[in-house]
Amino acid sequence: MNRAIPALILSAAALVPVWRYAPPTATTSTATAEPAPSASTSTSGDSTVVSGPTIDTEKGPVQVQATFKGEKITAVKMLQQPNHPQTEAAVPKLIEETLEAQSADIDTVSGATITSGAYRKSLQAVLDAKV
Amino acid sequence: MRRVEHIMGFPISLLIEDEGTTAEAAEPAFDWLRQVDARFSPFRADSEVSRLDRGELAPHELSPDLAEVLDLCEEYRVATGGAFDVRLPGRGLDPCAMVKGWAVQRAADLLTERGARRLCLNAGGDVAVTGGPWRVGVRHPERADRLCAVLEVGEGAVATSARYERGDHILDGRTGRPATGLLSLTVVAASLTEADATATAAFAMGVEGVEWAASREGCEVFAVSADGKVHRTPGLPVATTT
Repeated sequence: MNRAIPALILSAAALVPVWRYAPPTATTSTATAEPAPSASTSTSGDSTVVSGPTIDTEKGPVQVQATFKGEKITAVKMLQQPNHPQTEAAVPKLIEETLEAQSADIDTVSGATITSGAYRKSLQAVLDAKV
Repeated sequence: MRRVEHIMGFPISLLIEDEGTTAEAAEPAFDWLRQVDARFSPFRADSEVSRLDRGELAPHELSPDLAEVLDLCEEYRVATGGAFDVRLPGRGLDPCAMVKGWAVQRAADLLTERGARRLCLNAGGDVAVTGGPWRVGVRHPERADRLCAVLEVGEGAVATSARYERGDHILDGRTGRPATGLLSLTVVAASLTEADATATAAFAMGVEGVEWAASREGCEVFAVSADGKVHRTPGLPVATTT
């Protein structure tokens, strides 16, 4: 299990930048910062639950818990996280989609068509050639 | 009326769909863009930008136009934590990224002030429109002959920054290195000044620029990251299929 703990510390460190992007407004601190012990481990059946140490970040303490089945992580839970939304309400939540190629009836094309060579090969040049 | 000219190093396509509009109606816009090229190009030794860069002009000697452009540059440099910077170390002053959107928006405004109503001005893939609806395709980042989105814009602008052409020409001002992480990023905004500067600045910031652009007031975003995923704001004006 000794191997798992550095991995957890790494995952907590990887999560830290997530909060850095949030605007520094509304930095209400909360009482999540119980004096947390360092990493702890408990096993039930074939699963092992490991709680990482509490890491203090500029937005507050962060502690991650992971469930292992053998060497594989099957679940990750935040035991402590800054009471700070990752994105403010003013920021629209981005929608994720797959990239699809399409052609359609259009009036013009937006794209980085900044050289004349690229322009000659572009859809915009085809549109411009229309009478 | 449709007219294409190459100015400032890129193709500029103008479409005015008002009854009886002649090619001459476009002249004020193209004339303004030629003036901008002469005055603001860092590639012309006698331009105002080159003279400022050589220290031949004091701040109070700047034209109001250049002062306005430099103020906008500073606004975006601060807003992006330095990712958008027109004065990179070891390079001369290069405000092209700001001048383009600003100048093309003004060209469109010059025509609407003279009575144009249904107009679409496309400068190297950056688009300003009035009197829509206009259907604006977004070029697919990996296939020049395909689109990856179609937007419908009545009034406003669409600008795209991408790496598929001219290689890594956008540098992250914070590191001085080429921006990576995104294949293309498109911004829809009320003016091309805002759309183009936001798209360029966000692209320089890489993946985190998508959220930054989405947080800017009045900006809708469509971005393709290097892993081929599309990220867009819910308010993006996606056209209905025809």
